Amino acid sequence: MAKITLSINKKEFPMEADPQMPLLWAIRDLTGLKGTKYGCGVAQCGACVVHLDGEAVRSCVTKVSRAVGKQVVTIEGLSQANDHPVQRAWQEIDVPQCGYCHSGQIMSAAVLLRENPNPTDQDIDYGMAGNICRCGTYLRIRKAIHAAADMQKKTATKG
Amino acid sequence: MDEQTLSRRNFLKTSAVTGAVFSLGFYWPVNAKSAKIINKAEAESYGIEMNSWVHIDKTGKVTIFDHRAEMGQGSYQAVPQIVAEELEVNLNEINVAFAQGDNKKYGSQITGGSSTVRGSYKNLLKLSATAREMLIQAAATQWSVDKAGCYAEGGHVFHKSSGRKMHYGELVEAASKLEAPKDVVLKKRSEYKLIGKPLLRLDTPLKTNGSAVFGLDKQIPGMLYAAVERNPRLRGKVKSFDETAARKVPGVRHVVKVKMGVFSTYREGVAVVADSTWAAIQGKKALKVEWDDTGFEHLSSEDIYKRQLEALQTQEGLVFKKQGEPTEIIAKASKKIDVIYETPYQYHACMEPLNCIAHYQDDKLEIWGPIQGPEMVQDFISKEMSIPREKIVVNMTFLGGGFGRKAFMDYPHEAAVISKAIKAPVQVVWTREDDATQGPFRPGITYRCEGVVNNGKIDAFKVKLAGQNTGHWFGGKKDVPNGSASEGFLKPYADSIKNLAIMDVPFETPIPILWWRSVYASTNGFAYESFLDELAHEANKDPLEFRREYLKDERLHKLIDKMEEVSGWQNRKKNEGFGTAITECFESTVGHVVKVSKAPNGGVKIDQVWVVMDCGWYVNPDTVRAQIEGSVVMALGAATIHEVKFKDGMAVDNNFSTYQMPRITDIPPIDIHIMENDEDAGGVGEPALPAFAPALTNAIFDLTGKRIRRLPFSLQTV
Amino acid sequence: MKQDSKKRARSFVSNQTVAILSILIFLIAVGASAFRRDAPAKEIKISAIARDSVASVKAFETVYKVLMSPRCMNCHPAGDVPLQGDDSHLHAMGPKRGLDGKGVYAMKCSNCHQETNTPGLHTPPGNPDWHLPPAAMKMVFQGKSAHELARQLVDKKQNGDKDMQKLIEHADDGLVLAGWNPGEGRTLPPVTHAEFKKAWITWIKNGAYAPKKTSN
Repeated sequence: MAKITLSINKKEFPMEADPQMPLLWAIRDLTGLKGTKYGCGVAQCGACVVHLDGEAVRSCVTKVSRAVGKQVVTIEGLSQANDHPVQRAWQEIDVPQCGYCHSGQIMSAAVLLRENPNPTDQDIDYGMAGNICRCGTYLRIRKAIHAAADMQKKTATKG
Repeated sequence: MDEQTLSRRNFLKTSAVTGAVFSLGFYWPVNAKSAKIINKAEAESYGIEMNSWVHIDKTGKVTIFDHRAEMGQGSYQAVPQIVAEELEVNLNEINVAFAQGDNKKYGSQITGGSSTVRGSYKNLLKLSATAREMLIQAAATQWSVDKAGCYAEGGHVFHKSSGRKMHYGELVEAASKLEAPKDVVLKKRSEYKLIGKPLLRLDTPLKTNGSAVFGLDKQIPGMLYAAVERNPRLRGKVKSFDETAARKVPGVRHVVKVKMGVFSTYREGVAVVADSTWAAIQGKKALKVEWDDTGFEHLSSEDIYKRQLEALQTQEGLVFKKQGEPTEIIAKASKKIDVIYETPYQYHACMEPLNCIAHYQDDKLEIWGPIQGPEMVQDFISKEMSIPREKIVVNMTFLGGGFGRKAFMDYPHEAAVISKAIKAPVQVVWTREDDATQGPFRPGITYRCEGVVNNGKIDAFKVKLAGQNTGHWFGGKKDVPNGSASEGFLKPYADSIKNLAIMDVPFETPIPILWWRSVYASTNGFAYESFLDELAHEANKDPLEFRREYLKDERLHKLIDKMEEVSGWQNRKKNEGFGTAITECFESTVGHVVKVSKAPNGGVKIDQVWVVMDCGWYVNPDTVRAQIEGSVVMALGAATIHEVKFKDGMAVDNNFSTYQMPRITDIPPIDIHIMENDEDAGGVGEPALPAFAPALTNAIFDLTGKRIRRLPFSLQTV
Repeated sequence: MKQDSKKRARSFVSNQTVAILSILIFLIAVGASAFRRDAPAKEIKISAIARDSVASVKAFETVYKVLMSPRCMNCHPAGDVPLQGDDSHLHAMGPKRGLDGKGVYAMKCSNCHQETNTPGLHTPPGNPDWHLPPAAMKMVFQGKSAHELARQLVDKKQNGDKDMQKLIEHADDGLVLAGWNPGEGRTLPPVTHAEFKKAWITWIKNGAYAPKKTSN
């Protein structure tokens, strides 16, 4: 066990944790932020995706020690008002069914859109093939990412 | 709900705790087919608390209870959308709360069989309309005007001529003192403002910022976390275990042996309880357990397929349905089709692995979790742990997928046993590996399909199936055929095929089995609808025309017309790769047309899927579409990837690394159409699944001439 | 493609006797000249170069076996998606190479592949520098014959601008070493790293001759 501090959603969380503990469980059990999900534990499904210094890492295989000194953003911190373009698009198109995988889907999509503001269907495939959805919302995910890209553009021109 | 019941004084007064509140509810007598509305005195005479499906307080806040599990299928949206329609409130101004498990209050809460809407919409509409009429009456009385001159809208009552209006909140006290109207006029479908509209789901915003509380997210004070090492052979015992290493893992607090019920059998394991999920999982890994696997057979998949085939070749089985002389005709026929269809065991693979919180304290038990069947949990635990049923409270959270697996009792029972042993609230977390390997699974079924075609007509039709019967695990009689032997197969076929037999050849294994989305239709659909395609081919008939010929039913003909229209069926070229299938499931009929082509790098590519659903009355077309999309994706996985393989009595694949899921890159375009008619509501969450696989394999036959008779098969190597 | 490469590898091994006999005649003439064209002598700073095509080609047999083993080839795919597993199937979630070889968008290698192996079966193997060759220098192994691979390895336009010295040093590269620490359940390359390194250096120091072209 070691005393460490995580910076999550711009807030400091001092904690005592086994440095080997996956970031996922530190976030869920030690900070109580439960939006980041456990799906497989082996980086297969993407339900646990958080941003670590802006990258969509899979927190289930990322040791908590890797996150020390870095900025962690979870689904709870993606936006203040549930209004990141990806979140808005997800709401407009009613993407989720059970919703369990969508924290990860949204966090992955946010990185995709940041790096490629105008993704094609193929770019979306490239960016999102790591996230599993058992309810099968894939077609809506694709549609919503295009919608989010449009929203992002509009916001950019306004701003 | 009969007239007599309706004429009763049917509103229920409010409890003292919440002050003056207007609320209405039902009473669902056990074994009764419909709800009964009772007053408070009656509720007391039954010894139950008054329920309140619809709750309006003095501020006008409307709370609607969702009595069913929300696992993605949209009950959280559908129930309020129904209620808000007749109650005349805005959907965005109401709160939705999950009802606790209590079937005396809410009727069956088992969220299965795609039954939430079809099972309760008529009652919900009447209840909501009754409440609305009472609120209007209260306003009319207050204004001393004729009720006929008043109407309700957006949570207010208006007086047409004077323009006066009152908020529902101002009327609740008066309304709760009124006699219920005897005859409530329900809206016509054409008058609906909410029902039938693709309104946005109320739960979506909760699911885009992490605030939706799934079972795994629920926390209660003082809660510990447990991970359990269970016997890998599904029902074996613990012989001995060494907890030394597990105890050394920092954070581990308890190590206890557990025994949980799986139907009438038991599964044993060792639970490691810790102050974080991770510590519990590490502790579980550090356990050394010796298992006792005696007393049951350790099967492998090959054994199952082999025995099913043998059974079908040597036994006639129990008669599910028999008319004419199919067996005799087949025996005499010079040319017949006699083919075997095989389907594998399936894993539910909910994205949220099983988990459950239990707090056992002072002979009472409270449970929180992703639960599809709260009353089953109450009944089972009450029996197993000798706790009076009324002392078991089951709280439902959002479910991260259910598909049938979460309509089971083993994981809440296990949590309860652990909480009792450690005397603290505990959340049991199943790892993905636990979830994938422990079952119960959907049974794999083998079918023998025999048929004779003469002069383009079916002369004899015989289907025998050999596969495990879920009913047996629930204690059902073994000398009767599986009641679901023809689930999925359209009933009107039996009216027009003179010589027909459906037989169930009994087949047992020690592997626990359970419902899986669309249940037996998920396997039957493949066998029956592929077999029909074979018969159509033998008869040299167009597969859809062939079906139309045998389905003497106007509603089905309209569905087929629509399938032809949307898919361009009539204009397709010979062997262009079109296939079709139609199945019935939970009172909805769904037709699929699939178009395939040869993939550039070998194998087959799905170009397009068309789905036409006839679910009768429906609430939200966008939810219907979403369920169809999801059903196709799940069916695609089941048809082309998924099989639970057993080796030496254990499930082999234990995570998505080897039990691969379809991904965004695998999904074909899906064109969805919903039939518009005035029929009663059918199910929506499951019925679009069964017809996909046979439509796909029938399309592959059309393209390549190759008949696929075993699932799963690989699209890459067709 | 997978089938092809296996077939090629097998046929090379089975033909080795013939190959060795023909090497004397063939490689001195063709292979060596090809090599000289690809890697001008002035850039070779290794003093101990002894041109011995037989020893070189012989050593390359071992090198080739290692490079075509899943532990090496899986990250040197013919396409832009890495391979996985002992059967070298396409990586199940289809991550793309990206310009720098480190993946794209939410699918960057290091999102899953940590600095060290993740414990357990079928979990992501790890390395601090986990990546594919970059898009501009794909260094494809998959599907290459021994002849093609040998020539590619010494072609500075295809090997990351590595001269002989750098090539030798590359045997101890962190990612190369990772092949011998593949994580639970994955087979090791066919020889030890020491044996590989020895063969690698022998191949290079004896002139980095390419084996004879095989008929397929």
